[in-house]
Amino acid sequence: MALRSLAWRLALWLLGSATLVFVASGYLLFRMVGQQVLQQAQRESGAWASQGSSLVQERLDNITNTARVLAAIIGPRPLDAAPLIHDAMAGNTDLAGLAAAFVPGSPAAREAGQSPFVGRSSDASLSQRDLFKDTQPYWNATWFQFGLTCSRGCWHEVFRSQSRQRLLVSYSSSMQVDGKVIGVVNADVALDWLQGILLSMHLPAGTHAFVIDQQGLYLANDTVERVGKRADPALLKLLNAPRSAEYANAHQLDQQGVHVWIFDQPINGTHWQFGVAVPEELIYAQVRDAFVAVLVVGALTLLILALIVMVTLRRTLAPLGVLAERAEQVSRGALDFALPRVRHHDEIGRLTHAFDKMRRELAAHLEELTRFAGEQARLASELDIAQQIQIALLPGSHYLDARCHNFELFAALKPAHSVGGDLYSYFMLPSQRFCFMVGDVADKGIPAALFMARTITLAKAMASRAQSPQQLLQLINQELCRNNDNCMFVTLLCGFLDVATGHLTLASAGHDPPVLWGNHAARWLPVASGPALGLDEDASFPVMRMRLRAGDTLLVYTDGVTEAANEALEHYGGERLLARLDQFHQAGDESRHGDPTRFLAEDVQSYAAGHGQSDDIALLALRWNHVGLEDGTSMLDLVFPATLEKVFDTLDHCERKLHDAGVRSGVQADVRLVLEELMVNMVHHGCSGNPEGCIGLRLMIVEEAVLVELNHEGTPFDPLQLAEPALTGDLADRHDGGGLGIHLVRAMSSELNYTHDEYGNHLQLRFANPSEHGHGT
Amino acid sequence: MALNLRIDPFSPQRSTFYLEGRLDAMSFGEFDKEAEKVLEQMGMGSTLVLDLSALDYISSAGLRSIAKARKAMRARDGHTLLVNPQAQVRKVFDIVKAVPVKEIFQDVRELDDYLDRIQRKMVNEGGELE
Repeated sequence: MALRSLAWRLALWLLGSATLVFVASGYLLFRMVGQQVLQQAQRESGAWASQGSSLVQERLDNITNTARVLAAIIGPRPLDAAPLIHDAMAGNTDLAGLAAAFVPGSPAAREAGQSPFVGRSSDASLSQRDLFKDTQPYWNATWFQFGLTCSRGCWHEVFRSQSRQRLLVSYSSSMQVDGKVIGVVNADVALDWLQGILLSMHLPAGTHAFVIDQQGLYLANDTVERVGKRADPALLKLLNAPRSAEYANAHQLDQQGVHVWIFDQPINGTHWQFGVAVPEELIYAQVRDAFVAVLVVGALTLLILALIVMVTLRRTLAPLGVLAERAEQVSRGALDFALPRVRHHDEIGRLTHAFDKMRRELAAHLEELTRFAGEQARLASELDIAQQIQIALLPGSHYLDARCHNFELFAALKPAHSVGGDLYSYFMLPSQRFCFMVGDVADKGIPAALFMARTITLAKAMASRAQSPQQLLQLINQELCRNNDNCMFVTLLCGFLDVATGHLTLASAGHDPPVLWGNHAARWLPVASGPALGLDEDASFPVMRMRLRAGDTLLVYTDGVTEAANEALEHYGGERLLARLDQFHQAGDESRHGDPTRFLAEDVQSYAAGHGQSDDIALLALRWNHVGLEDGTSMLDLVFPATLEKVFDTLDHCERKLHDAGVRSGVQADVRLVLEELMVNMVHHGCSGNPEGCIGLRLMIVEEAVLVELNHEGTPFDPLQLAEPALTGDLADRHDGGGLGIHLVRAMSSELNYTHDEYGNHLQLRFANPSEHGHGT
Repeated sequence: MALNLRIDPFSPQRSTFYLEGRLDAMSFGEFDKEAEKVLEQMGMGSTLVLDLSALDYISSAGLRSIAKARKAMRARDGHTLLVNPQAQVRKVFDIVKAVPVKEIFQDVRELDDYLDRIQRKMVNEGGELE
């Protein structure tokens, strides 16, 4: 975790790079300094070798000079040989023995009489003897034979004197007289001083000095044990190798992994060499120590540097870590946290500011989003509730006239969205009237649904006040026009059905005409239409009257049916509607009791399956069975000429019927009075059509009402339009007798409707006939 | 059932019509004819009493006949008083406000009291005048 932090990585990289640079430069420096140190050491050691060589040579020169001087002096004067040798011995302590050996039988030997030898014993006293007297003749000895040949003196090999127990080396110089060799001066030299010279040079510890002869024997060595021993063959090979380069006498020797530098210098006059051996380690030791010290200090410095860098970086980058952590929190959805304090307005400061701003805006957005989602959910649930409420506004989809099965009603409503603007409604009104309606609010969705709810509620509330569908439409229209600034409107087709007779009154407010089938092929009913509701406050609506025959079915629908589109965007259309309804009708007995609205809704749905339902659909079908009237209902249906006699016959007939039906006598008289007044009027106005069937009268007795329909084929005359007569309280005051009859008619009948069509005047009358034990008035 | 009209008693000062049955568009002509004969003989300030206790029914035609009779009596400065109209007839009278309420009486006795009161009043007034 710690290594993943930026500060750590930066610190490590920094430390690593610094170390690399430091080590590389240190190594380079070490190499360069090492080279110089080596050169210096070579110069120094070479100097030591030269110095040693000179010292040895100086001492040897004394000896060689002594021997050669003696040879030169003794040659002409052999007699003085002994004293001379003695003196020479006394004068030079380096000499261990000095001999003047003459060639036996030579004149000089004869003159001298002896070959003197002076030796120095171990207690430094001198002793003299004659070599001639030695048991072993010296003239056969190697040194003598060799000495005879050395006119300019030469050194012999080192040997160990048995008598004196020490290493000696001899120097011989031949004595010549007149170019003739007469003998040899031989000096034995003790080599102890060579050791002394090596010691006197005070070489540094670890550095070794030695003197080696031509045989490869150590004449002197500061390691005393090696004196007189043979030197290492590798060393010898090195010393005998040809010399070259600047430091010609420098050699590198590898002895069991230890590098040693050998510096040698020949000692003039001999075949000896003075050597100095310096281990390479010793040369570099100091500089290495220095470098180690520098390395240690450097490493410490780097370490401290790294620490400082890390601490600084950590301190600087700490807000970044916090920001990273906060960003992870953001990804988990938490937005409420503290941000690091901004100390400097650098990149991190700006980043912190930006992060803070981002966090705030994100929080605001999230809040808005949550609110929005909540709003959506609320809206969806409200829509659900609205749908339920809208469905609750509608009566059931099937209604069967429970009492006499005279008619059956089917309805279906399929909104395109959850709520819609299409509506249907039906309900019973007093006096055997059944009101039904189908409507379509312009627009869809919630506004349409609200307007639909308003319409349906208004219709139900107003229906009891309305005597006819056109009046109901007028009442609804006036209410809907109030404060309708949005100019919403609804098309509505409303019908009042007389459930006893099948008489139907229809009024349309801009709605599609209904379809009728049963006794003939399906066809549209030509219902003249007024304007849609909600637009024109003063609108009036024409009315259409008809009588349903048994087996007739009336279908009222909204344009969602005919305008349903398939994939090719072709409308379902009115012709298809008629054709499908005929098919449905012809499908036989089974379908006669089937639900035409369901059939049609499914047909439309399958037609529009590819395109989807785009508009609300409402369907209402009313089937008139005309099973008959309920028990106790009597009926009269007469057509007669317009004569007073016939009128009064009819009045009597009616009265008997009413009496037989048990209608109250008061109501009987009311009915008689109204009918007399109206029919006498008709007699007076005469007939325009068939005189044999000029007046039609139909009389029904239904529950708590007497219904009368009067038809007169004459000139239009609307009794409702007549002005009220001026009633003074005394008919005798009146000058004309007119208007009284109509006034009575209006007063006596509970309800009066007048219509006029091509068949003449039609009057519908209703008389309340409260039952004996009912809630009579 | 048509109209049955009985005039009893008849005198130029006070005549009473008993109406029985229906006075409607069919029967008003008959009534008018009979009434006309009686009314012609009525004297000035006389009283015509219409006893309606047996009249079941009246229509606008009947109302007009009664109005006609009242007009004729008014021309003779007389009174037309109605006695005991049945509920149905009374209802029609009410609807069209056919007759002033004070000229309708429950029964003959009430009518006689009324007539006596008037007679006394007239005598008193006449005495004062004289």
